[in-house]
Amino acid sequence: MKNLEMVTIIVNDRPVTAPVEAHESLLDFLRNKAGAVEVKCGCNQGDCGTCTVLFQGKAAKSCLILALQAQGKEVRTIKGFSGDSLMEQLQESFVRNGAIQCGFCTPGMLISSYAFLQATPQPAREEIRNAISGNLCRCTGYKKIIDAVEEVALKRTGKQQDKQTTPSSFSEGQEEAKGNYLLLGGG
Amino acid sequence: MATYSDCLKGEGTFMFNVVSKKTPRLDAEAKVKGLEKFASDIALPGMLYAVVLRSPYPHAEILRIDTSEAEAMGAVCLTPDDVPDVLYNERGVSIPAKTYRDRRVLPRKARHYGEAIAAVAAESEELAWKALKALKVEYKVLPPVLDPIKAIEPESAQLYERVFFGEEEIAIKNNIACEREITVGDADKAIASSDFVVEEEYELPRVYHFQLETKSAVCNPEPDGSLTIWCTTQSIHNVRILIGSIFGIPLSKVNVKKIPVGGSFGSSIQMNSIIPICAALALKAHRPVKLVSSREEDMYDHCKYPSRIRLRVGVNKDMSIQGVEAEVLVDIGAHQIQAYPLLGSMAGWLVSLYKWKNIKYRSRAIYTNKVPACAMQGYGNPQMNFAVESHVDLICEKCGFDPIEFRLKNHVGIGDEFWGQGPTVRSIIKSCGLEESLKTGSELINWKERGHPINKTGRYRRGIGLARGFHTSSAGAPGPAEVIDYSGATVKVNEDGSVDVLTAVMDLGGGTWDAIAKIVAEVLGLPLEKVSLSPVDTRTTVYDVCTHASRGVFAGGGAAYKAAQEVKRKILEVSSVFLQEHPENLELVFDPKRNDAVIRPKGVPFKSMTLGEVARNAMVTGLGSIAATVSFRQKTCPPSFVTNFVEVEVDTFTGIVKLLRAVCIADCGTPINPDGVKGQLIGSLARYGGYALCEETEYSEQGRLKCEGFITDNKIFTTEEMPFLNNIVVHFTNTYEPTGPLGAKGIGEAAGNSVASAIANAVYNAIGIRFTRLPITPEKVLEALRGKEA
Repeated sequence: MKNLEMVTIIVNDRPVTAPVEAHESLLDFLRNKAGAVEVKCGCNQGDCGTCTVLFQGKAAKSCLILALQAQGKEVRTIKGFSGDSLMEQLQESFVRNGAIQCGFCTPGMLISSYAFLQATPQPAREEIRNAISGNLCRCTGYKKIIDAVEEVALKRTGKQQDKQTTPSSFSEGQEEAKGNYLLLGGG
Repeated sequence: MATYSDCLKGEGTFMFNVVSKKTPRLDAEAKVKGLEKFASDIALPGMLYAVVLRSPYPHAEILRIDTSEAEAMGAVCLTPDDVPDVLYNERGVSIPAKTYRDRRVLPRKARHYGEAIAAVAAESEELAWKALKALKVEYKVLPPVLDPIKAIEPESAQLYERVFFGEEEIAIKNNIACEREITVGDADKAIASSDFVVEEEYELPRVYHFQLETKSAVCNPEPDGSLTIWCTTQSIHNVRILIGSIFGIPLSKVNVKKIPVGGSFGSSIQMNSIIPICAALALKAHRPVKLVSSREEDMYDHCKYPSRIRLRVGVNKDMSIQGVEAEVLVDIGAHQIQAYPLLGSMAGWLVSLYKWKNIKYRSRAIYTNKVPACAMQGYGNPQMNFAVESHVDLICEKCGFDPIEFRLKNHVGIGDEFWGQGPTVRSIIKSCGLEESLKTGSELINWKERGHPINKTGRYRRGIGLARGFHTSSAGAPGPAEVIDYSGATVKVNEDGSVDVLTAVMDLGGGTWDAIAKIVAEVLGLPLEKVSLSPVDTRTTVYDVCTHASRGVFAGGGAAYKAAQEVKRKILEVSSVFLQEHPENLELVFDPKRNDAVIRPKGVPFKSMTLGEVARNAMVTGLGSIAATVSFRQKTCPPSFVTNFVEVEVDTFTGIVKLLRAVCIADCGTPINPDGVKGQLIGSLARYGGYALCEETEYSEQGRLKCEGFITDNKIFTTEEMPFLNNIVVHFTNTYEPTGPLGAKGIGEAAGNSVASAIANAVYNAIGIRFTRLPITPEKVLEALRGKEA
């Protein structure tokens, strides 16, 4: 084959070398050459955010980066965070808060949330909402995902107490008290 | 009637240990760690990559395809000449006698832009694309039919001359795919003699499912002549039966794997068009083949049914409805996936909403040269609900009735008949939380303070709206029906007392697998961690029709419940040998101290054995494995009632409608996964918020999607469009369904059916304009406001 060029990309601390075509995306490289199928392909055109990875430490949609542009650069996928306390807290919080349904958006959603919390340790809820607005989810309606990210942010800044005591006539509190939710042992 | 809290307080019968408690999803850890593998993640050694050639015309005969150049490149090519000459229907849910068949694996005539007409497989995706470009196709371009109203005019081009209905070949005239009429009493006469007659027409758009995973398949021909398939589907068994029938393979030699699905919302009830193409390529190449749809290709594969619904309703001054006349026209696109049962179901949703007394229902499904439409969360119910719940508000406004009083007076409820899936699937309603929903919801949203649009001024105007809906749980019915509905499960006890469950039921993301595990754990007195769902396929499971019609928990879970009951009986029988007691004197209960299931003589807690001890003893003494397999059909189709109250804010300068608050009230009987039910309700708010306010796949005059496959030009809800902060309240009503597993009903579709209707009613309350066509885009709001001022 002509037009092929060898590139080396550091994927989760491991250099992966493979021939690529000029138009091949980092997403294709990760899935097809590096075996990183945990990076999901939802649209391949920058719309949905499922392929989000950490690229040189920043959240990026890997379908919008050419493999050639990533020569020698560091990429971290959802499998590359073992031992990272912020990511582990986020993963636990997603599980606990029921922020997952089909799970196809989850790896990208977690990485966007991670990069955001690293840059913004004490975010307001609306900032979280804005930070992950580029990651689409068709299942959950986003609420529990935002809850999960917010819980980690509050825990890290020791502000969890504030959340529980915030008076609100129209929030979770009512649901727990008025519905069967508490009665059923949930929550 | 027993309520749910009665059961909780009762004699222990319904004191749940696992069910109705919030637990982390069984697959959650795999999903957050990137370990879950979907169809497109499967890779096999020696696998070929397939790509599909799609029609550049909405309507064209395929005269000739020259594959020589592509084959010279080493590609395996598939043309209409290479596939079996079999017409099939891709959705094996209706009985064969009531199924229309108009489709071939690759057609001789393209009937919509983007329809697959040929395919190639090659060593790499790159080479496959190059080979695809080398295919030379000769077309005879035909005039397209894009408007369903024009389609029925005699001078319009015809998509089909003949199709099959069951085994009978029938002629298609004026592009009318099928029609259904249902009459109860004399609606014309009843309406004519009513105090008020209210008439309006409603129109619902063509929208795209936009499940995040695009349709994908990997097919592997095995040495024994069988074919193994990994694919996106809601029914592994129906894919098996269809592939076997089309390609003439014995049904034992097609093996479809149960794998996770990245969302579906109805788009894979049918076998998606790429699956038989992938199978045909694998059979031709004698190699494993992988075929993954791009997002644009996926948009050209499936969409929701666009519908026009005209309603004429007669009402008397005492708020009693006298009769309804409904005319329904559905634009089904290029193939009839399931329009015949759809028209029957839409009649069912209508007749089950209110006590109309007299009904005249006429419906038509029309072929057009557009993407074939199929079920999408609600199967015609969101469409019918929008028309009826808008119309009820219209009636109340015109006649001066209170919208809540009117609904309470006329709704179909306990003791009434419910049509769960058209006229042949009916049962009597035994649980209904609607009254409680209306009362609680109106308090939570502050309904009485909503005001009247006349008194609302200024740039930003707020409005509160309500709509109530429901959906069936399964297509179960007392007798045989037009719809196939049964499920199965195997439950087996391992030698340490852990339990494996084998079920073909698919989980589309909603948590159906968790519910099934919880039901089995509850029946067997086990902690949830002792119950595992086995990785299975069609070879190792008995038939389940499909995860559709909100039947996963009710019917699939119902089968698991039956199998677990059978295993429980066997456990007591085997235990009687070791405990020296008659089985009837024994009980199987959860022992919180040991965190395990124990078998003991009733009332003698100290003389007990754990389930593990019993299973091990059974092994050592040669009594054998404790296991059961059942095939089970639900005899009812109980509706889950959901009521939505929302508050919106209309910006009269920009026309933007913002969703401010939402109250979602669900009667789903026992919520097996309360957190999952919440997820369904809030997720539906996003999907049907989009249906109400922004989603529509529009077509150009050339029959192409205007968005060209880009999601941003066919916007769905992001985080930004959802109600701000914590302004979403979810409430469960206090109901228990006597025919459901542990009191449960299905919630999947009910969760969404009334959301768009509530939003449109809230917009009316804000600005006094009733939108009869969705989506309510800023352009339409501004145009309507200008029209109102003029």
